[in-house]
Amino acid sequence: MKSITAVLVEGQVTGTPDSRTSRTAEQSLGSDVATEPGTTNGDTLGEVPLLEMRGIGKSFPGVVALREVSLTARAGEVVALLGENGAGKSTLINVLSGVFPDYDGSILLDGRPVTLHSPTEAQRHGISTIHQELNLVPDLSVADNLFLGRERATRGLVRRRDSIAEAGRLLARVGLTISPRRLVRQCRVAEQQLIEVAKALSMDARVLIMDEPTSALADGEVRRLFEVIRGLTAQGVAIIYISHRLEELEELADAVNVLRDGRWIGARTMAGTSRDELIRMMVGRSVEDLPRREADAAVAELAPRLQVRDLTLRGDAAAGRVALQGISFDVRPGQVVGLAGLMGAGRTETLESIFGAHPQSAIGGSVLLDGEPFAPRSPRHAIDRGVVLVAEDRKAQSLVLDASVKFNTSLPSLKSFAAGGWVRGGAERTAVRREVARLGVKTSSIAAKVRTLSGGNQQKVVLAKWLLTSPQVILLDEPTRGIDVGAKSEIYDLVSALAEQGVSFVVASSELPELLRMSDRIVVLCEGRVTGELEARSTDQETILEAAMARSQVVAP
Amino acid sequence: MSTAAPGPAEGGAVTAPRASRSVPLIGSLQGYIGLVLIVVIGIWTQGDTFANLTNLTQAVGYFAPRAILAVGMTLVIIAAGIDLSVGSLMAVGSTASALMLTELNWPVIAIVPASMLLGAVFGFVNGAGTALLKIQSFVMTLAMMSIARGVVREASDNQSVGILTLTSSNTVAPGSAQFQQLGTPGKTLFDVPLIGYFPVLALVIVVIIFQVVLSRTTFGRHIYAVGGNPTAARLSGVNVTGVTIAVFTLSGLLAGLAGPISAAYNASADPLAGMGYELDAIAAVVIGGASLAGGRGNVIGTLIGCLILTLLDNVLGLNQFSPNWQLIIKGVIVVLAVVIQRPDLFARFAGRRFSGPKGGAAAPTPPPTSSSAATDPLHKSGEASGS
Repeated sequence: MKSITAVLVEGQVTGTPDSRTSRTAEQSLGSDVATEPGTTNGDTLGEVPLLEMRGIGKSFPGVVALREVSLTARAGEVVALLGENGAGKSTLINVLSGVFPDYDGSILLDGRPVTLHSPTEAQRHGISTIHQELNLVPDLSVADNLFLGRERATRGLVRRRDSIAEAGRLLARVGLTISPRRLVRQCRVAEQQLIEVAKALSMDARVLIMDEPTSALADGEVRRLFEVIRGLTAQGVAIIYISHRLEELEELADAVNVLRDGRWIGARTMAGTSRDELIRMMVGRSVEDLPRREADAAVAELAPRLQVRDLTLRGDAAAGRVALQGISFDVRPGQVVGLAGLMGAGRTETLESIFGAHPQSAIGGSVLLDGEPFAPRSPRHAIDRGVVLVAEDRKAQSLVLDASVKFNTSLPSLKSFAAGGWVRGGAERTAVRREVARLGVKTSSIAAKVRTLSGGNQQKVVLAKWLLTSPQVILLDEPTRGIDVGAKSEIYDLVSALAEQGVSFVVASSELPELLRMSDRIVVLCEGRVTGELEARSTDQETILEAAMARSQVVAP
Repeated sequence: MSTAAPGPAEGGAVTAPRASRSVPLIGSLQGYIGLVLIVVIGIWTQGDTFANLTNLTQAVGYFAPRAILAVGMTLVIIAAGIDLSVGSLMAVGSTASALMLTELNWPVIAIVPASMLLGAVFGFVNGAGTALLKIQSFVMTLAMMSIARGVVREASDNQSVGILTLTSSNTVAPGSAQFQQLGTPGKTLFDVPLIGYFPVLALVIVVIIFQVVLSRTTFGRHIYAVGGNPTAARLSGVNVTGVTIAVFTLSGLLAGLAGPISAAYNASADPLAGMGYELDAIAAVVIGGASLAGGRGNVIGTLIGCLILTLLDNVLGLNQFSPNWQLIIKGVIVVLAVVIQRPDLFARFAGRRFSGPKGGAAAPTPPPTSSSAATDPLHKSGEASGS
C-alpha cells in the first residue's frame, strides 16, 4: 500500500451538498458504524490526488441514477467501489469513462478540472475502462486488437513488424507470453482480460477502471491479475476496482467507496474496516420497518406444489450461462419463495431450468410438480402444465415491442381463444380487456403498441399475458426492474393477492428489500449452489448478503 | 441509415407517440396513393389503351406468378427470414408441370397439386436448414436457389419444354388445352372479366387465404411473434422451429403453384424461367410495408406492392419508356416506398437540428435500471457493458 486514502467523509463535505447525504447515511447505519474521524494521513496532506470526482450526479428521464457522488484516487492506489446491483457503480464508471455526454458535478485530474463527454476524451486524459464484457474483436490478432483504431501505419499501410514488436513489449508488461499474432478468439478469458490491460497501458492509462475483472477467472488467473495490478500501481497507475468479492478487496484495495441507491455512502480504508461494516454500509437502511408477508400457518400444512431436487445445469461460458450444482427447494401452494444471490449466482438459470428454457440434456436432478415428474422439453410444455416465467429482460425476452398490447397479452394463451386454429377476435378482445383492466395497465387502447408504454405498464402487460394462462406456479425474474415505485407496489400487491388464491411463486431479485417484502422464505444462491435458506420474516439483509458472498474458494494472500 | 436500427426504437417511443400511432395508417395509405397515381397517369397518358380489360388482364397475368411468390415471401419476411430460392423453385414447378403434362400425360387436376407438393418439399428443406441447422436463411436459400436451378436444368436437359409441341406420337399432350387455361392469355376459365382468367383468380384466392391466415389464425400470430421477437415467442410457448419450417414450406408450396401458371403463360417451361423473380417478390413485399427485420407486413400490402410494380411496368411500356428506364424507375420506387413508410426518419433529421451535434435528445438515454437499456448508451459508443 503506497498511501492510505483519506477518508473523505469529513474532509470533503464541508459546505458541499453531500454533507446531507452522508450524514443521513451514517445515521441510518446506527452508532456502531460511526464515521471514522477524518483520518487524513499526514503524508497525503497537501498532495493533489490524481483523480477527484466531486458531486457527480446523473439522471435519466424519470430516474435519478446518481446523486452527489464523490470519489478520490491517488496515484498508485487501488480504490474499490462496492454496492449492491443497481447501486450506481456502473453509472459512475460510465461517467468516468466518458460514456455519457452529460452529467452533473466536476471531475479533476491532477487538481485541474476536465470534461469527459466522450470515451475518446476520457482516453485522451488517460482514463481507460475494462468492462466486464470485454471489448475485443475475436477474429483479429492480439496485436491488431491492441492498436485497433490507433494502428501503427505509414500512409494507410500497417507496419506489421513494428506493431507486433510493440505488442510483444506491451504483453510482457502484463506478464503475458502469448504470441501477438494469435487470434483473440483463441485466447483464454484471463488472457483476454490481460490483453485489455495491455491495451489500456498502450494508451498511457493513468486511471484504470476494472469492472468485475475476476468474475470469469479461475483462482490461479486471479492471482496473476492481482500481480499485474500491483505492478501497475507500483508504476503510479490508479485503479478503480469494482467487485462483489470482499475477500478480493481485502487483499487488493487500499480504500473502499460504498454506493447505495445512487448515493455515496462513505469511504473506508480497507485496513480500517471490516466485512461486517461494509455489508452494513451496502445494505444501509434498517429493514425492521419493511412490510413483510403475514405468516400463513395453513400454507405450511399443504403438500408442496413444486419440489426442486438437486437441480443441475451444465454451464455455457459462450452464452454466459452459469452452471447450477444441485439446487433444492420446495414451494407450497400460496407460498412465495425468494431467490437471492449476487450476479452470476444462478438465480435466472434456476428459473429458466424449471421453465424448460434450457435443453433437458443440459439439466440434471429432478423437479416435481404436484408430486409428479416435471421435465418440460420446451416452455410450451411448462405453460401447459401451469408453470410460467416472467423473464428478467422484458424487452428482449417477454415482449414483441412493435406489436399491440392485445397481441402480446394473448400470445401464450391464444389457443384458448381459438377453435381449429381460428382466433375468435371477440373472445380474445374481451379477455385481454378484462386482464388489462384488472392489472390497471395504462394504455390508450389494447391496440396500442407495447413500445409506447412505460416500463411499469409493459411489465403489467407481461403479467397479464401470463395470468391469462391461469398458471399454478409463477416464476418471477427481477419483476420490478426498471419500473417506478408506484408500479412496484402494485406488483407486490398483485403477487400477494394471487398467493392468497393459492398460486405459488418463485421470485428472483437482486433487490433484497424487495425479496424480504415479497417472500415467505428466501433461498440464497452463490455460484450455482444453495448457501442459505432463511425465513423471510426473521432474517435480514446482512444475513442474506453474507450467505450470498460465501464464495467457496478464498483467495489467499 | 446504418445507425437507424436501434434509434427509432427508442426515439419513436418518446419523441412522437402520436406520429408512431399514425405510422401504420400512413404506411398502408401511401401504397394506395401510389397505386392510384399510377392508374391516373396510365389513363391520362394512354386512355383506353391502358384502361381496357385485355391490357389489365395481360399485365396482371404476366405478373401473377411473381405476385404469388411475393405472398409466400411475405410470410417468410414477417418471420424475419428471406427466401432467395423462390425464382428457382418456380422454375422447378414450371418444368415439372410441363414434363408431367407432356411425358406422363397427367391431367391438370393432378399436375397443379403435384407441382405445389414438389415446391413444398424444397421449401421444407429451406426451413429445416434455417430452423434446425441454424443456417441464416439468406445463405440457406441462396444455396437452394443454386441447387434448384441446377436440378431443373438437369431435368430438362437445358431445353424448354413446350406444352403444345408434338410428342413422339405426333399429337399434343391430351391435357394441353386444359393446361393452357392455367395462364395462356386469352384463355379464361369462365366468363367473368379479369377474375375468369386463372392467374388472376389464383392470385386473388391466394391473397385472401394468406391474409386471413396471417390476421385471423394462431399460426398467423405466431409468424408475427417469431419475426418480432423470437426469444419472447419461444418463452411464450410458440414453437419457433415449427413456425420457421412452416413459412418456408408454404413459400415453396406457392412457388410450386406459380410454376404451372408461368409455364402456361409462356406456352413452355423454360429451365431459366424465374431468374430474378425473388428480387421482384422482395421488392413487392417491401413496397407493401413489410420490414426485413421481421414482425411487420401483410399480404394486402404485398398485393398493392405487386400491382404498383405491374402497372408501373405497363404504363411505362405503353409510354415507350425503354426497359432500362423501367428498371431505374422501379428501383427509385422501392426506395421511395420504404422512405415514405418511415416518417420517423424525417423526425430524426428534424430532431437532430434542435438537439445539438450528438442528437442526444432524439434518442434519449434510457434509465440504467433495465439491463437492456443500460447497454444502449454503451453500444452507441461502440462499447459493451458490464453491470
